[in-house]
Amino acid sequence: MTDQETDRDESPLGLVFGALLLRLWLGMRALQTGLEKYAGTKATDQAVNIDGTPNTYGLSATTTVKHYALENYHGLPKALASKFEAEPLMSKAMLPLFDKLLGPAMILLGIAILLGIAQRVSLFFLGLLFTSLTWGLILIKQDDGVSWLATHLLLVVAALALAPHNRFTVLRKW
Amino acid sequence: MNEPSVISRRDFLAKAGIGAGLVLGAPGMLRAATPGASDKIHIALIGMGKQGRVLFEAMANIPGLHFQAVCDIWGYNLKGGVAKVRALQGHTPNGYTDIDDLLAKEKGLDAAVIATPDFWHSPHTVKCLDAGLHVYCEKMMAHTIEAAREMVRAMERSGKLCQIGHQRRSNPRYRFTRERLIDGERICGRIINANGQWNRSLRASQDIAFNKKLAIDPAVLNRYGFKDMHQFMNWRTYRDLSGGPISDLGAHQIDIFNWFFGIAPKRVYASGGNDYFKDREHFDNVMCIFDYDTPQGGARAFYQVLTTTSAGGGFWESFMGTEGTIKISEIASNSAIYREDGAPPWDALVDRGLLRRQPAPPKPPPSADAVASYESAAPEVFELPGGFNKPAHQPHLENFFSAVRGEATLHCDARHAFESEAPIFWVNPSAHSRAPIELTPEHLAV
Repeated sequence: MTDQETDRDESPLGLVFGALLLRLWLGMRALQTGLEKYAGTKATDQAVNIDGTPNTYGLSATTTVKHYALENYHGLPKALASKFEAEPLMSKAMLPLFDKLLGPAMILLGIAILLGIAQRVSLFFLGLLFTSLTWGLILIKQDDGVSWLATHLLLVVAALALAPHNRFTVLRKW
Repeated sequence: MNEPSVISRRDFLAKAGIGAGLVLGAPGMLRAATPGASDKIHIALIGMGKQGRVLFEAMANIPGLHFQAVCDIWGYNLKGGVAKVRALQGHTPNGYTDIDDLLAKEKGLDAAVIATPDFWHSPHTVKCLDAGLHVYCEKMMAHTIEAAREMVRAMERSGKLCQIGHQRRSNPRYRFTRERLIDGERICGRIINANGQWNRSLRASQDIAFNKKLAIDPAVLNRYGFKDMHQFMNWRTYRDLSGGPISDLGAHQIDIFNWFFGIAPKRVYASGGNDYFKDREHFDNVMCIFDYDTPQGGARAFYQVLTTTSAGGGFWESFMGTEGTIKISEIASNSAIYREDGAPPWDALVDRGLLRRQPAPPKPPPSADAVASYESAAPEVFELPGGFNKPAHQPHLENFFSAVRGEATLHCDARHAFESEAPIFWVNPSAHSRAPIELTPEHLAV
């Protein structure tokens, strides 16, 4: 019998559920955050109806629809990116790379955590990502954001602690 | 008491316009059919200063246009204009510094778009019409009424189209308001009073500076009617070159008074002065009142143009009637429609999609002020059912090019523009003489 099988057998149901819930929460958080970086809005004008038919004057109402596309990609919010650029400790070469990788990394880690692929390694990298973001926010004195990310980091740590009780995984190793 | 209107627009125009031969409310007598619907319209751009560029940016969105030639006496504007055209259509248009040279050399042109200083509008328009081109010319038609008359005569002599750039005439919001709400639904009841203003800030009214390295040769400036470079850059402030703020800014909105009333005023009183810009030839602060005899009775319109202060909502026009008031502006957020307390409800108009109701503002707390007891109940506020997302001049240019293709009639041909602009030419004389001017056919007719 392996150690892992021992863990599984001895896991109380509460801890199993706790591990699952944290996995779901963190996976969803990472995946959707990554997907949102591809979100944009598309405005369409439609002729307004008068007496039940589209008017002939050219009066229109604008409808804004959210949509996802590769060309919408924005890693770091523009307002933050320009502040990071002005920081002397921020590497000017690494910032664009981080900007490009942030969205895909969030998506990959989110999928890995949701499916249970190398759970501990995935959580560790997600924690690193949150830590890197925290460092940026410390530089530009966004204390609220730092606290917000610290909460996320605590959840990652809790998920790592509950990893032995994890179930329904694709790759349980690592 | 509500007074139902029983006079149709046709009757109204027939009765009101007899004296001066006016048909202010029914523009668009002309259409052409030079190029086929699928052919490109070949255009000469005459004047590529600030307004020329505004028109070009609007035309850039209109399919089927070919910018064949660009003309400006200033090399800086010419170079910039050529570059803009090249960037849009991928090849370089022919550049000219003289319009006569352009008209002599360019073959196959269909139309000219003129955005030169006001005192050049008439000579340039007449030259282009006589050369067989359709013309879109910026407003104000000219700096003198006689020069404006020449434009009408040239249009009618040549049989070509001549649209004047009163772009609100093609604005969907203005057209809808006039045709469906004021004329169609008589939403204002009887219109008694119109108001309009253009309050422009001091910063926006300063003289335009220029880079001395780019100055035009004085001999060239003199040849084209400018004393010096300052006059070239600031022609709007000189009496021989323009009509000043009442013409430059006021023409847009006084045109709306005349267009919406469908009749020319019978009298103008004006006051004006150099209250801030002491050295300018034109008044910087002008107020004027136009008296109208509409078939429903008397109406008065007040207009002010101010070049020191933008407060007070910038620019807008309003039409105040017994049942409602329409405040309209090119800026949608400056527009609103108010139903008078006691007027018939407008719920049916909202249901049909003709109006949208705005949320009611919060009620102010009860006041112990004795004056409050004399106040009327606050009117309900509505808005137009939609807007449009195009540069302000684009619909008017679209109308012009559609007319060139024979697919539409002009919204503001030179004759109708003249009939609407003619009263504006009498504002400055009234302000100078400090006396009202009775507007007769002699003042208003071509």
